[in-house]
Amino acid sequence: MTTISIEVNGTVHELDVASRLLLADLLRDRLGLTGTKIGCAMGACGACTVLVDDAPVRACLMFAVQASGCSVRTVEDLVQDDGDLDPLQRALREHHGLQCGYCTPGMLMAIVPLLESGRPLEPDAVRQGIAGNLCRCTGYDTIVDAVVEASRA
Amino acid sequence: MNEWPLYAQQRWAGKRVQRLEDPGMLTGATTYVTDVQLPRMLELAFARSPVPHARIVSVELDAARSIPGVRAVLGPADVAHVEPTVGFAQLDGALSTPRFALPAGRVRYVGEPVAAVIADDRYAAEDGADAVTVELDPLGDQAPIHDGIPEGRYFHQAAAHGPLDAAFARSARVVRRRLGIQRVVTSPLETCGIVADFDAASGELTCYLSTQMPHLARAELAEALGLPVSHIRVVCPAMGGAFGGKEAMLPEYLCAAVAAIKLGRPVRWVEDRGEALTAGAHGKETEAELEAALDADGRILAMRSRFVSDTGAYLVGIGAYVEFMVAAFTVTGLYDVGAYAYEVAGVVTHKAPLSPFRGVGMTTSQTLREVLIDDAARALGIDRMELRRRNLVADGPWRTVLGEDYEPGSWRTAFERALELIGYEAFLGRQAAARAQDRLLGVGVSPFVEAAGVGSAGGAGGLPGASHDNASVSIDLSGRITVALPTFSHGQGHRTTAAQLVADMFAVAPDDVRVIDGDTARTPFGLGTFGSRSGVFIAGTVSRAGRIVRDKLLRVAEVLLEAAREDLELVDGTVGVRGAPSRRIPLAAVAGAAHFAPHVRAELGDPTLTATAFFDPPRPTHSNGTIAAIVEVDPGTGGVAIERIVVVEDCGTMVNPMIVEGQIRGGVAQGVGLALLERYVYDETGQPQTTTLAEYLLPCATDLPPIEIDHLETPSENGTAGIKGMAEGPASATPAAVVCAVLDAIAPYGSAIEQLPLRPETIAAALATA
Repeated sequence: MTTISIEVNGTVHELDVASRLLLADLLRDRLGLTGTKIGCAMGACGACTVLVDDAPVRACLMFAVQASGCSVRTVEDLVQDDGDLDPLQRALREHHGLQCGYCTPGMLMAIVPLLESGRPLEPDAVRQGIAGNLCRCTGYDTIVDAVVEASRA
Repeated sequence: MNEWPLYAQQRWAGKRVQRLEDPGMLTGATTYVTDVQLPRMLELAFARSPVPHARIVSVELDAARSIPGVRAVLGPADVAHVEPTVGFAQLDGALSTPRFALPAGRVRYVGEPVAAVIADDRYAAEDGADAVTVELDPLGDQAPIHDGIPEGRYFHQAAAHGPLDAAFARSARVVRRRLGIQRVVTSPLETCGIVADFDAASGELTCYLSTQMPHLARAELAEALGLPVSHIRVVCPAMGGAFGGKEAMLPEYLCAAVAAIKLGRPVRWVEDRGEALTAGAHGKETEAELEAALDADGRILAMRSRFVSDTGAYLVGIGAYVEFMVAAFTVTGLYDVGAYAYEVAGVVTHKAPLSPFRGVGMTTSQTLREVLIDDAARALGIDRMELRRRNLVADGPWRTVLGEDYEPGSWRTAFERALELIGYEAFLGRQAAARAQDRLLGVGVSPFVEAAGVGSAGGAGGLPGASHDNASVSIDLSGRITVALPTFSHGQGHRTTAAQLVADMFAVAPDDVRVIDGDTARTPFGLGTFGSRSGVFIAGTVSRAGRIVRDKLLRVAEVLLEAAREDLELVDGTVGVRGAPSRRIPLAAVAGAAHFAPHVRAELGDPTLTATAFFDPPRPTHSNGTIAAIVEVDPGTGGVAIERIVVVEDCGTMVNPMIVEGQIRGGVAQGVGLALLERYVYDETGQPQTTTLAEYLLPCATDLPPIEIDHLETPSENGTAGIKGMAEGPASATPAAVVCAVLDAIAPYGSAIEQLPLRPETIAAALATA
């Protein structure tokens, strides 16, 4: 067991964890933040993408101990303070950019850094940006449309 | 035309209503099976067979039991009381392959579970699984897989319709094509999973299950475990996709249930991706052959087909038969073929069991047929689209050579519209110019019809089995409407669609309608979600139940308003007297009176504003469309870039065009995956070679172009309110468009490719040998 200190969605947690515990399992099983999904547990599908110190990370490829001292942001933190969906979430809904919803949290967390520059994004750049996140339902078109729109808002 | 005879308004149905499902999914609040956390819950992991075929000499479990955190280990003897599963549809004359919760005598495919380890967490459970020792005596591939199927072939059927021999005898040309449709993996982003929870006091077993068919899963659990159906509850909180792969009752689920009962604690098993790829829901693998006899003008006089599906080690669910039977029954498609013969067979092999996969059977028949038609056109020197024109049936009703009655559709109109949108004539010029510069462009066009919403009488694909549903509609004391469905929405937005229909029946908003599905304790019996049936069955059941409730509601209002039925109307969440806006009563007040007002009860008796209605459609619906694709093949690498994909879809009246388009886009993406990327590979010893998503390639965002969609609307005559089932047509018709486009692009070099997918190395090899 190792004691770690980790900030998740603004709250600092001091936790004893096994050295082999994955960040994804820490978030889901220890902290109850089940919004982060596990799709392949080998870094290929992107469903578990979270932000670690503002950079997108596959939570299934990082040990919890590696995230000690870091600030982690998950899908649960996106919703606005008043409980409304944020503009990206609204755009995905308006464009039908999700179906079963399982890839959606990881997709959202992969998109957040793309929007950070505040510059409008072209569709091809969005496709490149989400190429590491698999979606089996939508064919990606509507996700691309939603992100392009969100980047221009 | 648009006809909504049952509805008080037409305000929500037909509109792009945003989905009620979305907010929970977008915020991470939606609970999937893998997110279910119960007090004292344990985790289960499996030890699995490392070889494709062996006699089990012994299973040594003690080492696993001594692993810290391990609470129990189950071997074959511990689950011997569980009845073997045989799937829920049997064809006459088919042999069966009983599948035990854990195999006692021998293992039959790599990844078959042999022991279950239950521990405090998944880490300890996997440690335990690693510590299980199974002594195996390899049997090789010469010994029969199942003693009852000595030759490996469990089903064979041949049939002929129409004057076949005469047609072939008078034909000017016979063309033949062989095509291998590869083994693929359904690969929803959420894998399979269960949380089994047994309550010793009531004897009730609750299974949180990732299944397309909650009520059938409940019955299968009951039968296998020897429990009454009444004591089993199946709950599907939310499901991250399925595509046909979540229909079978898995041995893994039965082991989890046994463990939960034995230990008196909740037990969770979530399939990991390696398990899903190695031993999960594979699909499609079929060897297909088709020959067509044509006259000198290019009219197809007759077809003869042969389909042999590799079912893997066990016949599970309905998957074993639908692949080849549906293929054989759909091969003539939208073409006027006067004589047809087919031969089908299913064989068992040392591979993971075959599951249905979106576009089951249809993908194979559609791809094979359209490729053959292109071959025929090239052989006869007729333009490929002109050859289709000469054989496509006219818009309207059509009886196939197999005797299936298509309801009216826009068969030819959709085809011509797709050619117009893709710019077929102009493309031919561009293609010729490109060829002069050694650039390989190609176009493929794939017109399709999709039968869906099959009832008990339907017999689609020659398959047995009842198909019917119920739905409940209730108005509660708050005046809000609850709909309970036995189908299960897992991406298709059923809750939104049903809410739109019911909102218009009662003149309320979709947000006033609560739709419940995925829980056998809260929904009436029905078969679940598969085969594009849900739209048809939801509209059919909900309309019928809604009409009964609306009738009751109006009877109460007649008493309250002292008005005649014909003067009443439903407006904005109220019942009122037509032309008298002051005389309107909110639904909540009507519901309150129905329950509590003595004079209403005295007059009407039964006060409940609730009804459950049954629906078994006499005939299926037939949606249709055409997919057109333009590709460019890199002559150096053999890589394929898809330039455009156009979809013209006609699924009759659309309840929510946005959701329809979502189904189209997703289907096209899966079709592209099948055509170009996905293949599950076993080596010659039966060892799987594509056990991760780095080797088994799913389409990503940069593999796909924007998908262009156009709608036609030929309302259904068979479905309720003009609705036709859809969602598999585009998935099954896309590979044909893409494959035909690739073969067109490389046509100057021949088209000898006979196996999908068209991976770059395959195409490069074909170009090199030409």
